[in-house]
Amino acid sequence: MSAGAEQAKRPVSPALAGPYGHPFHPILVTVPIGAWVCSLVFDIASRIVGAPAALAQGSLWLIAIGVVGALAAATIGFLDLIAIPAGTVAFRTGLVHMGLNLAVTAAYAGNFFWRRAGYGGPAPVGLGPLVLSAVSIAVLGVSGFLGGKLAYRYGVRVAGEAVQAEGFRS
Amino acid sequence: MGIAALIAWVLTALGGFVMLGIWVARGGTRRPRRSAFPPGLIFGHFGLAAAGLVLWIVYLVTDSAVLGWVALILLVPVAVLGFTMLVRWIPAYQAGRTPVTAGAKRTARTGGTGLPERAFPVPVVGAHGLLAVATVVLVLLADLGIGGS
Repeated sequence: MSAGAEQAKRPVSPALAGPYGHPFHPILVTVPIGAWVCSLVFDIASRIVGAPAALAQGSLWLIAIGVVGALAAATIGFLDLIAIPAGTVAFRTGLVHMGLNLAVTAAYAGNFFWRRAGYGGPAPVGLGPLVLSAVSIAVLGVSGFLGGKLAYRYGVRVAGEAVQAEGFRS
Repeated sequence: MGIAALIAWVLTALGGFVMLGIWVARGGTRRPRRSAFPPGLIFGHFGLAAAGLVLWIVYLVTDSAVLGWVALILLVPVAVLGFTMLVRWIPAYQAGRTPVTAGAKRTARTGGTGLPERAFPVPVVGAHGLLAVATVVLVLLADLGIGGS
């Protein structure tokens, strides 16, 4: 294995980014992904049910929870990015992954303020904010694909094969 | 004032991200340690400052005074750790400016045995420090309710 690949497996700060083989970033990303997916479900449901106010309010909360969770995930994700040697394919993939996620987070921050004016009202979620959420989720999917590529194909922050073999001893 | 503090805080963070990236790329986390910054110092500064920034964003949206003050209190250890790094960085920077042999120069350029923090661009260090001071002042003014929202 190249020194660069080995370097990308090691946390720059075990306390913040998680110990070797146990990265914190994949744990933290479940918060924004879960919150934003549920937010979109609430958006669609608000346009179906008879009393949509609670769903529209809940969706706004989920967007806010997602943005805060995304900022925390981004902070720790940055530490994993700088573990990858610059100028490599993996680093460039990481930069695109980061750029897309920051764009999605900014879109959700804008979406939050767009919706907040009508917070507490009886109306379902408007078509504009709903479409913005759907587009954001789609971009998040592309970014998630790149994140998966970084972990499962390039092995960033994944334990080395010698360590993996420990799990297959009988 | 709160938004001005946010802008200053984000700009300060960008400078910090650049320097942390340089520090790690130049082997700041490698062992045996060859940096004047212990990992706890630089990552403590990074983690507390990032947590404070997220709190400040939540404060701006919720307008909860308590959160605003907690963010300011968080900035105290952040500033102490930052000043500690500045004090430790200055000798490294000065050592990099003194005339050295061609071999030592080459080693410093390629990140061989030179201190990782020696590679920090001076304008980034200066801007990071000045913006950090501005952030603390703006956060304090916002918490005191001076200068409007």
